[in-house]
Amino acid sequence: MKSYASKWIMQRLTAVVLIPLTFWFVYQCVVLSNYEYDQIKSFFFSKFNASLFFILIIAMLYHAKLGNETIVEDYVTSVNLKKITKLFISALTYLSMLLTAISLLYIVSS
Amino acid sequence: MSLNRPLSPHLSIHKKVLTAVFSIFHRFTGICLSIGAILLSLWIILIALGPNYYVKFQNISSLVFFKVFLFLWTLTIFYHLYNGIRYLFWSYGKMMELNTVYRSGYAVIILSISSTILVWISI
Repeated sequence: MKSYASKWIMQRLTAVVLIPLTFWFVYQCVVLSNYEYDQIKSFFFSKFNASLFFILIIAMLYHAKLGNETIVEDYVTSVNLKKITKLFISALTYLSMLLTAISLLYIVSS
Repeated sequence: MSLNRPLSPHLSIHKKVLTAVFSIFHRFTGICLSIGAILLSLWIILIALGPNYYVKFQNISSLVFFKVFLFLWTLTIFYHLYNGIRYLFWSYGKMMELNTVYRSGYAVIILSISSTILVWISI
């Protein structure tokens, strides 16, 4: 099991990575909001855009996982419920990461 | 051992001071943004699946309700982002004097609202 110190550091490390990426993504969303399907897809054809988006979503999901686990640790009293909730959070996080990675690879290579 | 005791942080027994409200909101917006991250994954999956599936997203995104949802999402992102930057400074023991804490707190509110407005007038 990972130590709480390394989780604390990862929470902050992912936060620092997310600061510039969030500004970049919100800016891109303003541009993408007027785009049709083909234009959005061509945005992700760019390896640069796809890579940044990949880092963004992985960092975001991991940051979210750590944050939600902290909240569960603080507020869920039942030991069993705590276990189940954390398992649910992990499953959802890793499934989303996997499907996002596959989707991005598929878009970039198509 | 009784599990009915109140767990730390004791939300219900303290007077609501600004720092506590900011902290609760940080956690609340964090949970909302986690759901947002999953939705973002679904969006990219729909793009990969092709135009026939992406239409399902476009059907929802054309609704007025969706614009309201996106507006709140923008505000939530900026609040969590700016308040998170404040917490990063705190992790290094910086900006922790009481009046700096309050001033940076108000700055978070002003920056979140103005950034959200800037995004929505640019669209």
